[in-house]
Amino acid sequence: MENIFIILLGLSMIYIAATSRLAAHVNMLIVQGWLLFFVCLTGFVKEPWFNWSMISGTESIAANIPHITGLLFVVIETLIVKAFVIPLFLKKVVKRTNSHRDTEANIPHFYCLFISSVILFAGFLVANIDAPQFKLIDSMYFGVSISIIITSLWLITIKHKVLSNVIGFITMENGIFLLSLSVAKEMPIIVNLGVLLDIFIAVFILGMLVNEINNEFDDMEVSQLSDLKDYEYND
Amino acid sequence: MINLILLFPLLACLILFVFKFKFLNNLMINLYAAIHFTVSLALCFHKDFLPMWTPSKFFAADDTNIIFLMVMSIVFLAVAVYNNGYIKNNEDLTRKIRHYTYMVLFFVFSMTGAILSSNLGITWVFIEGTTLASAYLIYFHKTKHSIEAAWKYVFICSIGIALAFVGIILLTIATGNVNTLFYSELYNNAASFNPFWLKLSFVFILFGIGTKMGLAPVHFWLPDAHSEAPSPISALLSATLLNSAFLMILNVFRILVLAGCDGYARIMLLTMGFLSLFITAVFVYHINNYKRMLAYSSIENMGILAIGTALGGIGVLAAMIHLVGHSLIKASFFLTAGNILERYGTKKVKSITGLIKTDRKTGWLWVLSFVGIAAFPPSVLFISEFLMIKSMFMEGKFILAGLFFLLLTIVIYGLGKAVIRMTFSKQEEREENVSQNVVFGWNMYIPQVVLLFLAFLIGIYMPIGFTQSLLAAVAGF
Repeated sequence: MENIFIILLGLSMIYIAATSRLAAHVNMLIVQGWLLFFVCLTGFVKEPWFNWSMISGTESIAANIPHITGLLFVVIETLIVKAFVIPLFLKKVVKRTNSHRDTEANIPHFYCLFISSVILFAGFLVANIDAPQFKLIDSMYFGVSISIIITSLWLITIKHKVLSNVIGFITMENGIFLLSLSVAKEMPIIVNLGVLLDIFIAVFILGMLVNEINNEFDDMEVSQLSDLKDYEYND
Repeated sequence: MINLILLFPLLACLILFVFKFKFLNNLMINLYAAIHFTVSLALCFHKDFLPMWTPSKFFAADDTNIIFLMVMSIVFLAVAVYNNGYIKNNEDLTRKIRHYTYMVLFFVFSMTGAILSSNLGITWVFIEGTTLASAYLIYFHKTKHSIEAAWKYVFICSIGIALAFVGIILLTIATGNVNTLFYSELYNNAASFNPFWLKLSFVFILFGIGTKMGLAPVHFWLPDAHSEAPSPISALLSATLLNSAFLMILNVFRILVLAGCDGYARIMLLTMGFLSLFITAVFVYHINNYKRMLAYSSIENMGILAIGTALGGIGVLAAMIHLVGHSLIKASFFLTAGNILERYGTKKVKSITGLIKTDRKTGWLWVLSFVGIAAFPPSVLFISEFLMIKSMFMEGKFILAGLFFLLLTIVIYGLGKAVIRMTFSKQEEREENVSQNVVFGWNMYIPQVVLLFLAFLIGIYMPIGFTQSLLAAVAGF
């Protein structure tokens, strides 16, 4: 069941690679948030401790507190933060800075489509190598998450708008989140909180900086941010 | 006792938030520096003056991180003293002093947390925290250039740290049945880890945290950030932040050594180290901004630390000595650069002439800091670099030693050219932007003097206790 959602996640990266409208990218972030939420949920349903009776009474809740906090945390992280708070914030920024399209990409959309598909395919290939080391991981999760991370890094390098870089960063974080789900072991809750803090604050700081860049510079291109150099003095 | 240095900044922020008196801002930074210094000193001598207050299991001082903590305390104390004078001369600072204080406290807090934490995950969280705190400090002057520097810093470091988290996830795959991220348990069980995933995780952690540490192929944020930040912050960034990132790499490297797959990690560290030296040699040769010059010198010294770690044995000891010396001298160098910037109002090397005539004390501090960083004999860096070359000779790596010599010489030439030009050249007549009326208090000279004195002192005489604690810190490599 969760394989469907994971594959959809991989496909959403292809869509992001092949479009240039920032609003569409932000919508895709919402979709990714929901998909990650479903992946987590299906994962939880399969756990041996999971049954609906565990939230039936005070005693059973008390007995299952670590599991329930884990569940609640994932719901908050994926659904509220990834699917609502961050995309809404970014939508606001897109509106305020009037940067609707990331035009003049270095690479035409058709090639983007092709390259991102190849990366996704390569992810699957790597994850399905028949070696004893790869028995330790879930190939579906691993392949898609690696391909999401690589596609995001690649998109960051080819996009021109500052905001596209932020979106690339968030999709990369989504990929890493998927990878962390593939490790069956639970991280200490505080590390999860740290990840959440990372995404949350990084996005807000980046968002603030985007606003500042918008005020200071005429245009939201990355090329504007290349004034600090070594061989010419300009300060 | 560890709780005290971790909780005090948060308390101080709360106090500042409630009572909005101006004088509190400076007081809190100074108080925190004093507390930080006292606690680290007590931890050094294993004297717990608050034995009832046991720290959480996530924080502990051990033989390795105590050195980092002590260095950080000394540098922070010096920076806090300098900061008192710096704020008076800086209009920008007095206006936004409260935000500045919050962020300095939070910045030092997160670095302390990163150094003291005994869990890999928690270290990661705190290193992330340092990025967030220092981003504001770099952006402090709110000019076009500082936005650019802050943007690059946040963006590059966030990606690096995210990749380091991938490394941590891969490490948990490698651990197999051992479900833990505590360093002590990782060390104990290292032999049973899966070598393939362990090596892969080291790649990610080295590149991710190496971004933060300023190692060469991923150093691009560093010169911009260091040159745009206010000078006390540059000193903190260079002398403490890079170290705390290095500590995490060192700890993960120790896992690899214990697991017996360190050969490959050594090659990576060596490559990155020499690449850092090379990049510095190339860029410092024609440098025209003296704060960028110092930033590149930091990259170089981080490269030397990586090389020392990779060499192993006596090299790691040399790296530790180098770390102490570099932090002391580089902090002094950056603080002196702050004086020059206040006096001349420009960071351009060519606009600064006759520094020694304009401001004798700053001029001599500038020259002495250079003598220190260039590793001329009384400086402690001489010992560390000498030991490193010795260990290269002992291992028969003559070509590496030659390369090391050559690159260091080029770097010293580049630094020396700029420093001597600034200090001893003839004073030009048309110096409209020299503000002779800027008066520096004693607190803008004394910190550098003390830092340099310490660096030269341990170059001549290393107390036996200090040597022993250094040896304890590198035991096992």
